[in-house]
Amino acid sequence: MPLPASIKHEKNIVFVSNIAIFLILVFGFRFLGWKGILVYAGFLALLLFTIINVWQRPRNIKDTITYQALLIGGFFMVLPFYWMFITSFKSYKEALAFPPTWWPTEFHWKNWVEAWNAPKGNIYGDPPVPLTFTRYFYVSIMVGIVTTCGSFTVSALAAYAFARMQFWGRGLFFYIIIAMMMIPGQVLLIPNYLTLAKLRWLDHYQALIIPWLASVFSIFLLRQFFITIPEDLWDAAQIDGAGRFRFLWQIVIPLSKPVIITAGIFDFLGNWNSLFWPLIVTTRPEMRTLMVGLQAFNQDAGSDFHLLMAASTFAVLPIVIMFFFLQRFFIQGIARTGLK
Amino acid sequence: MRILKQNAEAFCYLLPATLVLAVFWFLPVILSIIISFTNWKGLDTWTTVKWVGLTNYFNVLQDAEFHQTILNTFNYVIYSVPLTLLISLLAAMLLNSQIQGRSFFRTVYFLPFITTWVAISIVFRYFYDREFGLANYFLKQMGMPRLEWLSEPRGIWTMLFSTIGISIKKPILAGPSLAMFSIILTTIWRSIGYYMIIFLAGLQNIDKTYYEAAEIDGASAWHRFLHITVPLLSPVTFFILVTSMINSFKVFVPQLIMTPSGGPDNTTTTIVFHLYEKGFQGLWLMGHASAIAYILFVIILIITLIQNRILGRRVHYEV
Repeated sequence: MPLPASIKHEKNIVFVSNIAIFLILVFGFRFLGWKGILVYAGFLALLLFTIINVWQRPRNIKDTITYQALLIGGFFMVLPFYWMFITSFKSYKEALAFPPTWWPTEFHWKNWVEAWNAPKGNIYGDPPVPLTFTRYFYVSIMVGIVTTCGSFTVSALAAYAFARMQFWGRGLFFYIIIAMMMIPGQVLLIPNYLTLAKLRWLDHYQALIIPWLASVFSIFLLRQFFITIPEDLWDAAQIDGAGRFRFLWQIVIPLSKPVIITAGIFDFLGNWNSLFWPLIVTTRPEMRTLMVGLQAFNQDAGSDFHLLMAASTFAVLPIVIMFFFLQRFFIQGIARTGLK
Repeated sequence: MRILKQNAEAFCYLLPATLVLAVFWFLPVILSIIISFTNWKGLDTWTTVKWVGLTNYFNVLQDAEFHQTILNTFNYVIYSVPLTLLISLLAAMLLNSQIQGRSFFRTVYFLPFITTWVAISIVFRYFYDREFGLANYFLKQMGMPRLEWLSEPRGIWTMLFSTIGISIKKPILAGPSLAMFSIILTTIWRSIGYYMIIFLAGLQNIDKTYYEAAEIDGASAWHRFLHITVPLLSPVTFFILVTSMINSFKVFVPQLIMTPSGGPDNTTTTIVFHLYEKGFQGLWLMGHASAIAYILFVIILIITLIQNRILGRRVHYEV
């Protein structure tokens, strides 16, 4: 139902005035401390007074409270990101200034180049090696893409078998896989390390990729979606002479694109952000992923916060950009996990 | 014959997944149970390995360091899980209204969750820094003294009560150390968005007509929340509670990268952190570390079963 023009106009006033009052809080606190909060409270009271006595709309009171709560919460959510980004352009001296500055007096764009090219120490305390972040990005992107594609293929095949085929021990097998979601991963760490050592895969790409090819979460997610595809489609495909594999490839997978993207995102994200596994299965610096490289830089750089913030920013940036493009799939995927 | 063919076909589809799962999931579960009964160290040759029965388990359970890590882990779980759930439920309820810019706020709240722990720990190490951190800047603006944040071993209640002259002696009552509490605040900051999305999906699943009917009958907002939202949201809450509890017991990465040496007086060493120290940081006591892993597994299992017994019955699945 479209709102009358006057109410819509009023809603915009509520929206804008809420943001203005919140900004008074931020800047007031910055310059006045406690007094800034009092100024904020005063303006907020003034707005509520106007709503109650002039407009007389309880809905606007509720909206105002919601906005203020969301803005204050949002401020704390964004603050670390803002701080990370803004510090990455400060000089060494300014990054260590107290009280801190909210805007760099001079932008040092070179920080990013310097952080990118800084030699990274080995995480075990050996002397630094001349490796730039180019290598770490290369390893991370390679491993991420190969794992995600491989995991998609492996999981889709298994999920299809669970969803669509009859075979002995199907129920039991499926329950074992579900039960494995509950085992703490640390239990598996030690023996997996041994297996990889026996296979002589340590310090090779295989160690970073192959154990993550079968994602229980992806199998479960895809299976739940494959079940909902009507059986009639399979009958029709059979009449047209398609085999199972062709049916899976040309009908089922195009139909389940959103779920596949969701599963892919989670595989890639888990891979990109994982620290512990690559830390344990690799010792050579040139086999390390971006996160391990960043952690090594973290331990090396000490209080060079301007460089550390620059490195953190470009380590986070690819995922943030991916998130803005694929947000819908993230949200859907997570929302689905809570609702059976 | 047809059945046989179908089985063979299904087997081909399952083969890649089964192979990976068998080698990297099934096998390790069995192997680590065996290792936990031996005196094996990572650097020994197999010939010197001896079967030691339950010795590793007794050693772990008698280790004073391990008791400290159990206390630390429980401190972490008890403070982080309820706070995270409450804040994310609140955020979800605020977002479940018809205001402008909802998707903007959703994005902002969710963003920390996709950020890697390494970058977060770097930023928060800076944030909590004693000399030039933002946290101490805020305290200064409010006219309060500086805090040590990540290097403060005293419990938060000890610190709070000492300002009014009461001293707490018992370590159990002291609460998490301020160092641990700083980490807890960071993990809350990171995971609010994730649980908020699940809560939001749960809230949007509740039929609006219940609220309308209750409003006509004159139920207040508080009563509508208590008698409609709470019961109808209980399956989602239960799911979140169980999963977040399990994950919190296994917590380790934030502690490792924010306080690499185990924090002031080892107050941020969690059970898995302890496992990592024993197993992988130079000592290579694989048998001991495996025993820790299974003791943790049993703790998680017991807690989950208790949750199921006590809370499971109160969950309303029917709508």
